[in-house]
Amino acid sequence: MSRNLLTIALPKGKLLEDSVSLLVRAGINCGEIDEDSRKLVFEFPEEEVRCIICRPTDIPTYVEFGAADIGFVGKDTIIEQNKDVAELVDLKFGYCRFVVAAPEEDLPADLSRFELYSLNHKRVATKFPRVAETFFGARGMQVGVIKLHGNIELAPRVGLAEMIVDIVSTGKTLRENRLKEVAQILEATTRMVANRVSYRMKYRRIQELQDRLKELVNGEEK
Amino acid sequence: MKRNTLGLQVPVGTADILPQDQAFMRQLERGFLDLFVKWAYEEVSTPALEYLAVINPQIEKGDSLYKFFDREGNILALRPELTTPIARMVATRLKGSALPLRLCYAAEVFRYGTSARREFRQAGVELVGSSSPAADAEVITLAVDALRGAQVNDFQINLGQIEIIRGLISDMGLKPETGLVIEDCLARKDFVALELALIEAGLTQSQSEVIMSLPSFHGGEEVLDRVEKLAESPRTLAAINNLREVYAALDLFGVRREVGIDLGVLRGFDYYTGVVFEGYAPGLGFPLIEGGRYDGLLGNFGFDCPATGFAVNMERLVSILTPPSYSAAQVLVTGRDMQAMIERARALRAQGLSVEIALEPIDAAAAKQYADSKGIARVETL
Repeated sequence: MSRNLLTIALPKGKLLEDSVSLLVRAGINCGEIDEDSRKLVFEFPEEEVRCIICRPTDIPTYVEFGAADIGFVGKDTIIEQNKDVAELVDLKFGYCRFVVAAPEEDLPADLSRFELYSLNHKRVATKFPRVAETFFGARGMQVGVIKLHGNIELAPRVGLAEMIVDIVSTGKTLRENRLKEVAQILEATTRMVANRVSYRMKYRRIQELQDRLKELVNGEEK
Repeated sequence: MKRNTLGLQVPVGTADILPQDQAFMRQLERGFLDLFVKWAYEEVSTPALEYLAVINPQIEKGDSLYKFFDREGNILALRPELTTPIARMVATRLKGSALPLRLCYAAEVFRYGTSARREFRQAGVELVGSSSPAADAEVITLAVDALRGAQVNDFQINLGQIEIIRGLISDMGLKPETGLVIEDCLARKDFVALELALIEAGLTQSQSEVIMSLPSFHGGEEVLDRVEKLAESPRTLAAINNLREVYAALDLFGVRREVGIDLGVLRGFDYYTGVVFEGYAPGLGFPLIEGGRYDGLLGNFGFDCPATGFAVNMERLVSILTPPSYSAAQVLVTGRDMQAMIERARALRAQGLSVEIALEPIDAAAAKQYADSKGIARVETL
């Protein structure tokens, strides 16, 4: 394997398009990447770049083991996976928030009269057990965390849990399921992460890309 | 009783090592220990079990230890590395020795973490009782020689200095808690959080840039000239000068080509006090070697004394090498006269050969086939 080859892990799904277009603008000619082709590996020999398409939740693992040198992944996934990777740039797209939400009918009409502590000893359904445990644990609260893999909003409707911890971007899903946000845990956007050894061994290439991405992202803000 | 389910398995993160792999591991470790002994390091061994009070006195702090109660109710832990147990041993048992002490080891360590291996072997050295840059250069040279001796053809050692970073932060006159937040972000290599923390702490643009650019101090000696321009206090200048001296000493030891200066080696802020280094190999996502100076650790055991050292992760090392094939025996002795065969085998063993005696009489063709299947080069039939 060439010592200079840079392997970039990109998340399939809604973050892929923004990731690819950002890389193209950063000067890496990888515009041909297309999820519909079902290809998982895209080689760009003239750029000494290889892109791999992974499930978003797997990206921290690929990067931690060095199977990918860098990856684009949501902060929500980074926090939940808690892997040893270097977090280099906030790419600012893919904004979402972690929130605690509960069914409207269980909440007072005036949310300011709601006490988070009333959720003690209740069950929380989530795809993010670490985030949920950390959030409630830090407040000295005791809740039962139930790990699910999708459609979290279903859990309170059928009595599996009294509340959920999930990521929301527009809040549409919550509204459709008559759930209301009762607390924000944190905000998340997509990040560029790097394997800690690649970051030192392929320092020049990674630093160059990091600087270009940072410039692009911050330029857009102004 | 017949075993089933758990009775047929090993605990998660552990593994049996079969003869070929064990022979390779033993050969590598013997090579390391022989090398260390030639540099006057003496091999020691500490218990696999220690009191938790030795390994992690801050019981509140999260760790990745295997912990048990003994029958008296004390908490025991399996050692996650050897440096702390050796520091305890030196401080309690070898205090009166002439310094410096040079110690080495090869042993299992145990980390109840998420990685694939939770029990693995480390080989390493500790050089206790010298704060000289030559001491740091000596252990770095040993790290380079160890990897060369193990036929690792492509590797690099990155050398940083924790005290330079601490010095630069303290030169900015920040509140101590801000300094800790910065160190924490650096240790986690979370540069996004770091940038936010710097803004929140009200650092000037140029101060922020200094800290954010630490990983870019990467290269040869010119890096030190660049960082020197940023240093304000005698403390920071002394740390830079220390790294300069270690780097110069590496030249004397003849290993400077393998070592690059890299202030982005950010590790173990709570443990290391001076130069820190990591050894990398292409294609391996984790460091092969980790080491550095820890002048505060022995003091925690009541024996204030500078020290430096490193450890090689043997499982990671083996994963990037191609093992040769080993045969259990070099000679197979066959025949019908057991007495003669035993005597012949004894004579051959006295010549230093490993010899297998055929326990049943077998014909020449069967002997040849058996020897081939086991990689035994020579068959003697009596």
